[in-house]
Amino acid sequence: MPFLPTSQAFLEQSAQLLEAYPENVRALPNYTERPTNVAKRQKSQSKRPSPQESTPSVPIASLTLKTYSPDSGIILKYRTNKQQEVGRLMTGLGKLAAGADVASLGLSAPGLAGADVEMADAPEEGAAPAQPAKGGQQQQGQVQGGKGKKKGGKGKR
Amino acid sequence: MAPHIGTEEFFEALTNLLSTTTQKAHGSVSLTQKPLVDPVTNGPPSILIRASDGNTSAPRVKKDGKIVKGSNPKVTRVKFSTVVPADGIEAFYTRYAEVCKAGMTGMKKRDRKRKAKGKGGAKAAKA
Repeated sequence: MPFLPTSQAFLEQSAQLLEAYPENVRALPNYTERPTNVAKRQKSQSKRPSPQESTPSVPIASLTLKTYSPDSGIILKYRTNKQQEVGRLMTGLGKLAAGADVASLGLSAPGLAGADVEMADAPEEGAAPAQPAKGGQQQQGQVQGGKGKKKGGKGKR
Repeated sequence: MAPHIGTEEFFEALTNLLSTTTQKAHGSVSLTQKPLVDPVTNGPPSILIRASDGNTSAPRVKKDGKIVKGSNPKVTRVKFSTVVPADGIEAFYTRYAEVCKAGMTGMKKRDRKRKAKGKGGAKAAKA
């Protein structure tokens, strides 16, 4: 279950998945307000107020997007806590729903696609019916790279 | 399952759901989209959109009328859905994105500090 590094990568890979399985792909955006951070912060504040804990309003909500194809079992995931990405991601899902192809998504936000994404484009272009399984493997291979990156990002936050 | 509601009602309900979730600073909003492919006409599919607060432990009534107690009888589950016809997808998603943007207020705003840092990094890379 991959977490993709950029929203662009997520939308492009989702479009590819949709190309391979046009009839049965679901998108599952999930908005979460995380209660644990708040509870912890308030608790520790009431017990012993420390200057570190009193920093104002740490963002606690996040948006996780999943695209799932039940036929192949492929799940693509992307998580963000940046508000400015919400609109673009939701419109992106709309484009996917309307059956936009990879190319039109790529054009909509140039320069954001990472090297990983370009690599993934190549094998899918000659999409024959037999290809999806292969595409799936490729995606999973790539997934691990994405995971590693994601972890790095988490540390920085 | 409750019948699908119209798009207008859907947006109202979604706005409510998002605002209550943000006010509580607790919980989540799950959305689902899935194409409804018609095997007979084989035209462009309409899209089924579902929204829920994910409280699956709440009591519920099954299809056959049986009542399932649920592991937490105190909570209630919010759940609604709508079907968007193929020709209305674009208009729907424009509103959908707006409603989501307006509702998901708990997230990180654009950070000026980080932007400045990024610029510095780019300059450093050029030099």
